[in-house]
Amino acid sequence: MQQALLWFFVLASLAGGLLMLVLRHPMRVALALISTMVSLAAIYAILGVHVIAVFQVLIYVGAVMVFMVYAIMLLDVRDPSFTHRYSGYLLPGLAGAAVLVVAFVRGLAGSTPAVMGAGVGTTFDVQPFSVAFLNDYWLYFELTSVLLLAAVVAAIAILKARRRGNG
Amino acid sequence: MDNTQLLLALSTALFAIGLAGVVIRRNLLVMLMCMELMLNGVVLSLVTLSQQAASTTGAVLVFLVFVVAAAEIAIAVPIVLLLARRKRTLDMDAFTDLKG
Amino acid sequence: MTQLLTLIVVLPLLGFLLNGLLGQRLGRGFVSAVGCGLPVLAFLTAIMAVRAVLAADAPLVETAFRWALVGDFAFDVSFYLDRLSAVMVLIVTGVGSLIHVYSTGYMKDDPGYARYFAYLNLFLFFMLLLVLGRSLLVLFVGWEGVGLASYLLIGFWFADPVKAAAGKKAFITNRVGDAGFLLGMFVIYSTLGTLEMDRINAAFMGPELPAVSASLIGLLLFIGATGKSAQIPLHVWLPDAMAGPTPVSALIHAATMVTAGVYLVARLSGVYLHAPEASAVVAAIGVLTAFFAATIAVVQTDIKKVLAYSTISQLGFMFLALGVGAYGVAVFHLYTHAFFKACLFLGAGSVIHAMGGEQDIRRMGGLAKKIPWTFGTFAIATAAIAGLPPLAGFFSKDEILWFAFASEAGGQTWLWALASLTALLTAFYMFRLLWLTFFGKPRMDEHTAAHVHESPLSMTGVLVALAVLSAVGGFFSIPHFLEEQLPLPAVDERLHHLEHTLVIIAVAIGLAGLAGAAWLYSGDGSRPARIGARLAPLHRLLSGKYYVDELYEAVIGRPLTWVSDRIFLRIGDRAVIDGTLHGLTGLARQAAGVLGRVQTGNLHLYAWLVLAGIFALLLWSWRHV
Repeated sequence: MQQALLWFFVLASLAGGLLMLVLRHPMRVALALISTMVSLAAIYAILGVHVIAVFQVLIYVGAVMVFMVYAIMLLDVRDPSFTHRYSGYLLPGLAGAAVLVVAFVRGLAGSTPAVMGAGVGTTFDVQPFSVAFLNDYWLYFELTSVLLLAAVVAAIAILKARRRGNG
Repeated sequence: MDNTQLLLALSTALFAIGLAGVVIRRNLLVMLMCMELMLNGVVLSLVTLSQQAASTTGAVLVFLVFVVAAAEIAIAVPIVLLLARRKRTLDMDAFTDLKG
Repeated sequence: MTQLLTLIVVLPLLGFLLNGLLGQRLGRGFVSAVGCGLPVLAFLTAIMAVRAVLAADAPLVETAFRWALVGDFAFDVSFYLDRLSAVMVLIVTGVGSLIHVYSTGYMKDDPGYARYFAYLNLFLFFMLLLVLGRSLLVLFVGWEGVGLASYLLIGFWFADPVKAAAGKKAFITNRVGDAGFLLGMFVIYSTLGTLEMDRINAAFMGPELPAVSASLIGLLLFIGATGKSAQIPLHVWLPDAMAGPTPVSALIHAATMVTAGVYLVARLSGVYLHAPEASAVVAAIGVLTAFFAATIAVVQTDIKKVLAYSTISQLGFMFLALGVGAYGVAVFHLYTHAFFKACLFLGAGSVIHAMGGEQDIRRMGGLAKKIPWTFGTFAIATAAIAGLPPLAGFFSKDEILWFAFASEAGGQTWLWALASLTALLTAFYMFRLLWLTFFGKPRMDEHTAAHVHESPLSMTGVLVALAVLSAVGGFFSIPHFLEEQLPLPAVDERLHHLEHTLVIIAVAIGLAGLAGAAWLYSGDGSRPARIGARLAPLHRLLSGKYYVDELYEAVIGRPLTWVSDRIFLRIGDRAVIDGTLHGLTGLARQAAGVLGRVQTGNLHLYAWLVLAGIFALLLWSWRHV
């Protein structure tokens, strides 16, 4: 059962990714990306790392993609990129990506199955994760807050620059 | 092909698709989203391998990557807005000011 | 107490630093106090040190610090005070202090007051290094340092391009001599393994002579001495050096620095005693320089130029004495010359001060009554240099003439004859200078005449002090004082009976010069003009200073310019170096043009290149890892 679900979500996420290449309107691309991300969250849940699955939904889908959707709606620009989806590098790009995928997958297939620890499929909950975070990695936790603060300041600075440019 | 290999293959496929999207799509916002896809592919491999090793360290690292992604998008989107204001377009082919 | 010598050397350096760094801010009172006070302190310290040397009757040796350690050989900065350097130190600090005091009056209104005193102190520091250094290396540092200070002070008024050029000329001419000096040092070091002068002398005094030609060393070092002491053929810089302030001319270009060559030869007398050929060259160059400089001085019309040529001439006398082995006598003349030439230069400075900057003696005259102190001291110094008894110059010059005639270490009749003729010329041109400046009718314009005034006490006081020293200095017999260190040469017994005759001749020569000048210049000025017209070619030759400058220009200067311009500039610099650079820049520009096309500004291309890069990386890692 689980294995079937895993396969389903793998294929779903792959389909979402491929759709991103084809769809015309950015909003649809965004929806495809969201579906991919949700599929990935489901895969994480199947793997048992629920914390990350939750974060995936909360941060990526809830914050990042919502922000992106806002941007798309804000920039209701009609320009050639909507009618002509592809740049002049369509064929080289696709060819390169295909070669890359083949190279990766062949490399993976040629390798022995990775059995690293006895804990394959180990699941853990929020508690050990939080304990590890606040006991061992508290410094990095604090540093992320600094990074986020810097991002906020930078975003404000960029908006200020835009006003100056217009005024 | 066991699950780990399957997920790693998915991860590389997502990464490659994202990269191809950056190369072939003309729309600026779509390119940005393709980059997010690339990041997701990488995160998937990270999660898979850390889950393999049954360590919380990998989970912490994933969390940090999420934070970095959020910070990145918080800056990237205003920059895109700014560029769109300036050129009145989202067509990447219009932005060739850094031509050598 | 153990670091007396170091203290002597460091005091003026301290003055240089204080005046150079703080002088502009702290005002003239501070500059004067530091500028004069520290040399005076150095003088007093020097007296203490000399007393210590005399009391112990042994040289004082002091190591300041270790300069460098090369292999087994240590280069120490050490100082050495024996009787010879004692004389020099007292002259340098004593006369130097007097001239510092004089400068406070002479340079009173100059905007570069602090800079002037800083340079003067710097000079004193290097001069003391030169005099007190035990090793030739330390001496050489001082030697170059006084050259630097001299350059800075000649070009003190650097806004005037002529004066700046004079400074450069002095510097460059000295470099030629320094090349010889350096070669001499190399030879000494490579054969004797030491540069300490007492050891060098000892090596030559020992039972076994070192396996090196003393004449070679002697000649190489003498080349250095000709540069610093303005002897033929490197004498050309000294007259031009008069562009500097007059007290500088007195201190550096008459009393102290230019005698460094004499000091060097006397210091290394041990080498020269074993180098009769080199000594003969020294004597010949000395007497020829003395003679030629004196003939030029006869027709000069610039008060300072007359004194400059006179200095060259007197230095020639000193080298003559060195060349015939009478080292003590040379130092004796150095010592008396320091007094009377400093007095003359400072007197000339006082005259120039009174005349508002005028230096041409044809526009002076009749100044005796208006500036009596200057006149009196100038007259005493003139008589001293002319060799009239019982003034200082008489004793020293007389001894030089005597040894030039009778020394067994190279005395020759022709040396004596030419030197005596030079002495006659010396007396003549000095009294000519005295006459044209102080006697006869005033020839300056009304405005200048109204402003003629005696100099302040700081200047006249120094003049009086130096005049007294010029008068009585000769009674202190330096040759006797230095006898044990620098013994006088043996005298040919057969000539001994002529000694008194020669003294009488010398006095007669001095008086003859006086009389000749008095007769020639006391009238309305028509006599010298007539003689000048009759000997027009000779006069032209002398006025042109034997055209040595022009000769150097034609033989060295112009070919050098030609080679520099045609070969080094046009071929070497422009064609080869610039051409290479331009070629390289052109290449870089073309390459950049090609590579720049990759920078299309197209983000898709960049992304694709990233893709290709990842693929290439994968391939590489599979192949190699």
